[in-house]
Amino acid sequence: MPDLWAGLPPVAQDVAVAALLALPGLLVGFAVLRGFAPWRLVRAMLWRFRWANLVFVLLIAVSVAVGVGLTAQERGLRQGSARAAERFDLVLGAPGSELTLTLAAVFLQPTDVPLLTGAQYAEVAADPDVALATPIAFGDSFEGAPVIGTTAPFVEHLAGRLAEGRLFATPSEAVAGAFAPVGPGDRFSPAHGQGEGAGEHAHHGSDYAVVGRMRPTGSPWDRAILVPVEGVWRVHGLADGHAPEAHDDQDHAHDDESTRIGPPFDPAHFPGTPAILVRADEVWANYALRSRYTRADMMAVFPGTVLAQLHGLLRDVREAMSLLAVVTQGLVAVAVLAGLVLLARLLARSLALLRAIGAPRRFVLAVVWSYSAALILTGAALGLLLGWFAAAALSRIITQRTEVLVTAGLGWGEIQQVCVFASLALALALVPAALAGLRSPLRDLRS
Amino acid sequence: MTGPEPPDLLVEDLVLTGAGGRRLLEIPRLAVPAGGTLALQGPSGAGKSSLLHVLAGLIRPDRGRVAWGGTDLAALSDERRTRFRGDRIGLVFQDFLLFEELGSLDNAALAESFAPRAARATIRAGAKGWLGRLGLGADPERPVASRSGGERQRVAVARALARGAPVLLADEPTASLDRANADRLAEDLVRLGAGGGRTLVVATHDPALARRMGRVLTLAGGRVVEDTDA
Repeated sequence: MPDLWAGLPPVAQDVAVAALLALPGLLVGFAVLRGFAPWRLVRAMLWRFRWANLVFVLLIAVSVAVGVGLTAQERGLRQGSARAAERFDLVLGAPGSELTLTLAAVFLQPTDVPLLTGAQYAEVAADPDVALATPIAFGDSFEGAPVIGTTAPFVEHLAGRLAEGRLFATPSEAVAGAFAPVGPGDRFSPAHGQGEGAGEHAHHGSDYAVVGRMRPTGSPWDRAILVPVEGVWRVHGLADGHAPEAHDDQDHAHDDESTRIGPPFDPAHFPGTPAILVRADEVWANYALRSRYTRADMMAVFPGTVLAQLHGLLRDVREAMSLLAVVTQGLVAVAVLAGLVLLARLLARSLALLRAIGAPRRFVLAVVWSYSAALILTGAALGLLLGWFAAAALSRIITQRTEVLVTAGLGWGEIQQVCVFASLALALALVPAALAGLRSPLRDLRS
Repeated sequence: MTGPEPPDLLVEDLVLTGAGGRRLLEIPRLAVPAGGTLALQGPSGAGKSSLLHVLAGLIRPDRGRVAWGGTDLAALSDERRTRFRGDRIGLVFQDFLLFEELGSLDNAALAESFAPRAARATIRAGAKGWLGRLGLGADPERPVASRSGGERQRVAVARALARGAPVLLADEPTASLDRANADRLAEDLVRLGAGGGRTLVVATHDPALARRMGRVLTLAGGRVVEDTDA
């Protein structure tokens, strides 16, 4: 049996679990309705109290939507942030907060982090297990978009082939992120700083020509403008990572205007980098590299691991909120069913008439239960949609604000969650139904 | 409509007490042969409706027998009485008690929603037939909310007869109607309701309706004070 279960495709397992959760509700319905055809009657009664019913349905829908929205949103956030970090196998930085380093390197959150030296970079770059070691430099921006210094191979590693144009080839060329405010053919001068206060000290006379545009990566890098790291260093009056004599041979006329970009860098002329983005060809090598560079003067971070910790926290918060949502759903279900007890009083004469013309008690129970079931199922379905829409809308806002592509869709988890709610509520709906069935028809006929 | 055989009614030693032990009904003996027509008259609170409810099996008396044919309603459980009522007794009420949201035919065929699947088509056909005989056959789908009081009460009569009940009990059936509609309904009750050997009992204040019945019982304080044959 366990083998059979494990052998099923995941979708079949999800469907089976959902069906199992819905089963109690379905069984109650089958037992209550067997042999009866109350729908014409129930429709008439639903119509009679349509406004009260609308309120009941909306109450149920909102409480269900909160639960559904929370889980869908949390999963969306988790998947989005994981996707954004996907291309960042290993990040090296000066010892400090792993979280700060991850936020800075992967999510481009401006922070002051200590720098790694040229010697440290050279050591990492020369490591035989390292396939790609990229220094990054940040701190500048243009129209709110961060300007990030990096290397051409990393651009390709991050987003694959460019959507248009070509990679930068000189220190004054740039590649725009998929949603950056500039595109191929544009020129721009970066401002010093990022966020508040940026632009007060524009780097006049340091123009970049945009020559390409990346494909979307679903990360904050989509809004960034990527330039050769040499460009950022030079704009700030620093050495550009290459020994002057190295390019004097090539270009005697402009010895301070080297056109050389990318590794290898000369440790003596390397101004420092807040982070080295490292890629290894083998998965095992990443682990080896992490332990190798976790030491007194350097730390090595798997952004995925840092995110996993964050996700654990996120899940705890979500679970606490989900508990509140479940309590809310329970309260709403009880409130609605209490409302139905009152509503059944208003329907008492109609129900008594049914008994007077020969309907058994179980039929009265079936009518009131069907009435409740219609409200519960409509509310639950509407709540599922509402939760989905709310999560989708919230995801769009988060995506706009953070550039982390968050997409929240409905998963089987949400459907199963709603199945549990509906099942329990349908079983609970037996209470007002039974109360209505137990009333004496005569007393209600007379009123 | 071929329903079950019309039963004779025999009430013996009937005692019904209300809240606080007040005697609502005390009837030593009442016999109505199958196919008879009976009016229950008397002032409000005399026990007309209570007697009708006891005859319908809606109330179980504290003592005595209420036998339709061989079936003593006083000895049956609530569910058995309900089933007996569904099979044998059609009820008509003062204020119609229709589902305003439903059409005339759906109201008249209401019993099909809890009847066994096999009986549903027969009930619908019966309802349709009675609506036709009561002059409402032209537009059976019309919502009852748009019908006049007289027409509504005729829909209620069609509902009471749709299953071919051999007994028709009516509680103040003309009290909510104007004179012309009351007369028309009284005519229908006697001609159609009491036709085919059906037993008809009406509780009424309306002398015009009572006059059409074969026998008039006058109640006061839960006892029969006058018993006249027409």
